[in-house]
Amino acid sequence: MTYYITTILVYLGIDVLAIWGLNVQYGLCGVYNFGFILFQASGAYTAAILTLGPSSGNGGYQSYFFGASLPFPLPILVAGVVAAIIGVIFGLLTRRVGEDYLAVLTFVLAVVAILVVSAAVSFLNGPAGLSSVPQPLTSVLHVSLIAYSWLYVVFVALVCLLAYFSLRLLARAPLGRVMRAVRENEKAAASVGKNVGGLRIFALAYGGALAGISGALLVLFISTWSPGSWEYAETLTAFSAIIVGGTGNLYGAALGAFVVQILIFELPRFLPQVSAANLVGSLQWIVIGVLTLGFMWWRPQGLLPERKRSYDISWPVRQRTVRPIGTTPAGGVEMERE
Amino acid sequence: MSILISAVGFGLVTAAVTALAAVGFTLQVGISNVFNFSYGAVMITGTYIGYAVNSAGGGLAAACLAGAAAGAVLSALANRLLFVRFIGRGVNRFGMLIVCLQFAVIVQNLLQAIAGDTFFTYNLSAEPPIGFLKSVDFILDPTQVTIIILAVVVIAGLTLLLEMTRLGRAMRATAGNSSLARACGIRTARIIDITWLISGGLCGLAGVIFGYSVGAFQSSSGTDFLTVVFAATMLGGLGRPLGAALGALVIGIAMSVLAVYIQSDMTQVAALGILILIILFRPRGLFGSAVSTKELAT
Repeated sequence: MTYYITTILVYLGIDVLAIWGLNVQYGLCGVYNFGFILFQASGAYTAAILTLGPSSGNGGYQSYFFGASLPFPLPILVAGVVAAIIGVIFGLLTRRVGEDYLAVLTFVLAVVAILVVSAAVSFLNGPAGLSSVPQPLTSVLHVSLIAYSWLYVVFVALVCLLAYFSLRLLARAPLGRVMRAVRENEKAAASVGKNVGGLRIFALAYGGALAGISGALLVLFISTWSPGSWEYAETLTAFSAIIVGGTGNLYGAALGAFVVQILIFELPRFLPQVSAANLVGSLQWIVIGVLTLGFMWWRPQGLLPERKRSYDISWPVRQRTVRPIGTTPAGGVEMERE
Repeated sequence: MSILISAVGFGLVTAAVTALAAVGFTLQVGISNVFNFSYGAVMITGTYIGYAVNSAGGGLAAACLAGAAAGAVLSALANRLLFVRFIGRGVNRFGMLIVCLQFAVIVQNLLQAIAGDTFFTYNLSAEPPIGFLKSVDFILDPTQVTIIILAVVVIAGLTLLLEMTRLGRAMRATAGNSSLARACGIRTARIIDITWLISGGLCGLAGVIFGYSVGAFQSSSGTDFLTVVFAATMLGGLGRPLGAALGALVIGIAMSVLAVYIQSDMTQVAALGILILIILFRPRGLFGSAVSTKELAT
């Protein structure tokens, strides 16, 4: 039972991290990335091959390229970097297309990636995927399974906390403000000299890094990763989480991750089997679909809407007025700034 | 050489399925400016309906009619009850993608809940390949030949409808500029409904012959196939039915011929590679586009 709780907590942390990544891209900067799951997948694969050790060293039951066994925090960091690089590539590729094609293009890129990984078996072990990825630090810690899973919960929570502060900083910084401007009106932002393409690349890379780290944390916990784990439907679920929770709101995104990914997807897995497992699976997807459409219809701002930042307009701002030439100064004029 | 010729033959079958689907898809983009990601799910619904008819002992014609009818009704209803309303609420085009995809997921999983999570295969009567085709190494059976002829006839008929009839003119006018069309006395709402019925019928029909031409299918096969339909549509230029049919011909034969040289599961990658290149470098398609990228972007 405890193991269930810790597993769910780890999943929650990982999902929240991934949804925050998507929130940077979509909620903050308005990048329509339908290949989002690719970032999580790349992070997971990176972390897996960097902990599994050389491909030839495991009796040859799974094959992949490169392969190393780096010490603990490195695979996760490299996973973030790899996902960020993919984000930059996405950004450069999509620099020349409009918003709608961006969605289609990223969708297609994710589909192509899954096809390539499945077909090229020697690349990342094909459809079977990578398995028995060692959990980090197990040989050093010497603790029971339960204690270890609690430690992992704490670790994931710390990473989430770190991500939270960095995201809050970003949202309040001028950079975050410009990103919101791009989201609200790309052309207006471009017309005042903002580098829209560059900001998109930054959003894709930054959000991608978060998603990549979440994928790395996931694969190090569950030990396996295969093409079945990152079908395009997963991207759709991530968007559902943002729409239900609240676009552009950190707490909202986290709440959405909890409602969609945990309440609807993970919890039923631990319930006793009532009937055919696949029926439950189908019902989950239908519930998510109806929930998302319902939210888009009745509450498009989500459970926790983005707080519109505004400057306090009730406070009178003393401004220097431009004096017409030849008049005497009449003192400061109290003006209300809009 | 003979292997190439038979590859072209099979490519024609793939092209026929893709062409029917792509023509319907491009009609929908043209008339409603909705990039309908649920198209694959509607298509596979047609496949399932056709399968039901097929298992009950119905022939190709009955299965096609049933599948087309199901596709037509489902598409028109989805447009009326879902897409039009969400657009009316001011949901932007990206939001519409999510609406379409969620609708696709709902349809797909309903199918899976009803029919079960297994692969299905149509019962094909084992007829020998047609004699005159055998002599030129075309190893197609009568069903496949019928599929190709059916696709050609349907697309030709649709082209005539669009170019020659009042209804077709009204459809093109509505696709071009719906408010102007309305001002000219065209009942655009009705024309849009009719277009969705026709395109949905094409979609359902494509689903049935998809079922006949592939070995096995399941509820998610439609959305997987949709990416190939995208490729054909984009190649031909969005909103251009004939362009989509030509694009399908290119993609179908290219995939089939490539399968001779490269790993067969990489052929779809090749089709999608073409799609990516088209989006990046020729977003208006090889033959230009009725709906320009600029119009789409706004």
